[in-house]
Amino acid sequence: MLLPLYLFTLVFVAGPLVYMLLLSFATARSGYGVEWTFTIDNYRRILEPVYLNTFAGSFRLAFTSTLLVCFLGYPFGYFMSKLSRKGKKQAMAALMLPFWVNSLIRLYGWIIILQKKGLLNHVLTSLGLTGKPLKLLYSYPAIVVGMIYVLLPFMVLSVYSSAEKMDWRLVEAARDLGAGRMRAFLTVTLPQTMPGLLSGIILTFIPSMGLFFIADILGGNKIVLVGSLIQEQMTRGSNWPFAAALAVIMMIMTTLMLKLYRRVTSGGRLEGIG
Amino acid sequence: MKKKSFFSRFYVVLCLAFFYLPILVTMIFSFNSSKSLTRMTGVSLRWYSELINNVEVARAVYVSLSIAILATVISTVLGTITAIGLSSHRKIVKDIVLNVNNIPILNPEIVTAIGLMLLFSSAGFRKGYLTMLLAHIAFCTPYVITSVYPKVRSLDPNLANAAMDLGATPFEALTKVIVPMIKEGVFAGALLAFTMSFDDFVISYFVTGNGVKNISIVVYNMTKRINPTINALSTIVIVVIIVVLVSVNVFLPKLEKRTDHIHPRVRRGVTIFLVAALCLGLIRCGSISSQNHVLKVYNAGEYIDLSLLDKFQEEYNCTVVYETFESNEMMYTKLASGESYDVLIPSDYMIERLIKEDYLQPLDWDLIPNASGLMEEVMDKSYDPGNKYSCPYFWGSVGILYDRNIVDQADLSEGWELLKDPKYKGDLYMYDSERDSFMIALKALGYSMNTVNEDEIREAYEWLVEQRDTMDPIYAGDDIMDNMISGNKAIAVVYSGDASYTISENPDMDYFTPNQGTNIWYDAMVMTRDCSETDLAHAFINFMIDPESAIANTEEIGYTSTVKSAYDAMLDGTYAEISSYLVDDSDPRNEIFGYQDPKIKQKYAELWTKVKAQ
Repeated sequence: MLLPLYLFTLVFVAGPLVYMLLLSFATARSGYGVEWTFTIDNYRRILEPVYLNTFAGSFRLAFTSTLLVCFLGYPFGYFMSKLSRKGKKQAMAALMLPFWVNSLIRLYGWIIILQKKGLLNHVLTSLGLTGKPLKLLYSYPAIVVGMIYVLLPFMVLSVYSSAEKMDWRLVEAARDLGAGRMRAFLTVTLPQTMPGLLSGIILTFIPSMGLFFIADILGGNKIVLVGSLIQEQMTRGSNWPFAAALAVIMMIMTTLMLKLYRRVTSGGRLEGIG
Repeated sequence: MKKKSFFSRFYVVLCLAFFYLPILVTMIFSFNSSKSLTRMTGVSLRWYSELINNVEVARAVYVSLSIAILATVISTVLGTITAIGLSSHRKIVKDIVLNVNNIPILNPEIVTAIGLMLLFSSAGFRKGYLTMLLAHIAFCTPYVITSVYPKVRSLDPNLANAAMDLGATPFEALTKVIVPMIKEGVFAGALLAFTMSFDDFVISYFVTGNGVKNISIVVYNMTKRINPTINALSTIVIVVIIVVLVSVNVFLPKLEKRTDHIHPRVRRGVTIFLVAALCLGLIRCGSISSQNHVLKVYNAGEYIDLSLLDKFQEEYNCTVVYETFESNEMMYTKLASGESYDVLIPSDYMIERLIKEDYLQPLDWDLIPNASGLMEEVMDKSYDPGNKYSCPYFWGSVGILYDRNIVDQADLSEGWELLKDPKYKGDLYMYDSERDSFMIALKALGYSMNTVNEDEIREAYEWLVEQRDTMDPIYAGDDIMDNMISGNKAIAVVYSGDASYTISENPDMDYFTPNQGTNIWYDAMVMTRDCSETDLAHAFINFMIDPESAIANTEEIGYTSTVKSAYDAMLDGTYAEISSYLVDDSDPRNEIFGYQDPKIKQKYAELWTKVKAQ
């Protein structure tokens, strides 16, 4: 009875991935489509400085965003786990609700806020904090804000899910045994919620290299993400094998991060949504 | 302790404010009286009434919602069963499956999208509602598996066996013992699946066809001329969801108490019946019934007066399935992947390519009597000599849109070099397109924009790099127009039609074509090789260049008409004072884009990435 279901999962979930892998070793035909002659040129091309730079730039951005998401998301998930049952439900609903508004529309909301004659500049100038309007939109910080905005819920959910499973008696025990609040947090709480934090990092880091529309809409395309590159090669450049190779590299990075995670948490599963 | 609890609550509220600020802003703008999404001009309900009258949006809401519901139900069942089944497999199998399962979640969506598109094409599926549904099930299932599996793993593996030893059937063991224990995980998975499906754009865009669109696709197609209709829609969505959530929390517990009296089997029967009815109903409505002739038209987004389509359908008693693309290349990708259309409206260089690759069939000009009204200036161009295949639709130039209050008139003589004038540093938009950007650089340097000379291309590349370093330009897409209407920047590279529209909304703006020459472009209607409704296709082409339709079309869109009478009428009327409406093709330095050898095209694409990636 289970076989057809597995088959569906296999064909539609794994199918595209296997296809990508095969594609990454094929040759781009001039124009449209591919020729199935084996080559590793697509991977060799990634080593060209332009593309390495793209990876480096994406990494930097991913690192910054992930770090900030950690600092902002961890306390949120942690506090959320301490709420009452009802409070948890409400916080969860509040967290999911924005997702039901189209993501492009939400990003346009940020444009309205960040633009030169926008809300934030209006507030800042009328409070006398700045003389003339600041250049906020189409800057690096604007991209980072967009990234945090999109990715923060994933971190919150991950941390929340592992903080909820935590054994609070251990914290009490540590406190009873004379540990300060900070010390109890560092030695008891943090290690126990580590799987959640790490899951959150995985769910933030790799996807942030793919969110090309944020770099486009809020960043004025000043940073080319690996995701933008894949998108461009797939649609405009119509060099599918190269795009596939880039995607495979990202899949490999994902797999490595998951492996590392499993090593650190001794075989644990991703927390939260993952 | 009290203090800490205050702090944590404060923090949670602050974070939620961060989440909701942009949404609040979009909600406010749904009451804007003007079209701008960035400038509040007054309060009105204009966009709500437009929303109610917009059939396309209504249909998209239906598609989004029904697909989200169906995909959620199916992928939840599928994912839950897979997760349960998986737990009894050997470790190595589990590891592999879970690893593979994680990848689509973390992968860039475009990869999954193209993968699925190719899968459907090669399997010969007719693209539309069903393919979109299958794709949504495919990308939602991993989310369900990942949220259900940990719960399954924490169960005692002997639970199912114990239940069956006690006389339960395997189905009962599943539904009565296991599922209730992993309820939370299943629910979380379903919620995620619904959310992902409802918001999806990239995957939906590539796997759909035959005019089936969800909300995201409609929004994306609107971005060029984005208007607050979509904000009104979001506002309604938010309000509906809040109402549903509140009523679920308030009324459901009461309802549950009451239904407790009803026999469980009856209750289950009713539930199954309801779900089945819903699914059947949704699928039925999703497939478009075609009782009469159908014409499939594929055009750029926001590039037609939509009321003309209704008029045409009425006059010819047929159905027009109308789809839009974001770029010529996107159109090409869909066409080449096997998607069938009857009439396309691409640009000159793409038409040249389509002719070369044998995607088109010749037009029968005897069936297009209105052709006599076409302007002489737009006929017989290099992309299609003798207009064997194409009937011109709109035409125009590429030029510079500038704010008259900021840019000195005297500086306009710099032509394209204005884009490198340090006076305007940080105050300009470039178009994020290698074709247009290299055209500018090549023209500024006095070369042909169709050059294949490596040295000239390299020089143009250096021009663009220098411009990037000294001017700090924004490489934007279709949001340029809205930003220019709001006066966010002083200078932008635009197509003349977009300029006409922008100037008509913001009179501070003006347009000029640089004296070093520019690109003159033509968009034209062509008929595909597989077009089976050739008579209807000719009728459509003829209808679009009918003087009356042409006036309505050009007035609505702002692009320059190819029909003489409409062109003259606009110059005397709506666009009288707007220089960009007039296309000057007399300058010998102006050029049309030609077919690019794929190698050269690749070269440009790479260099453009380099310009942007530093």
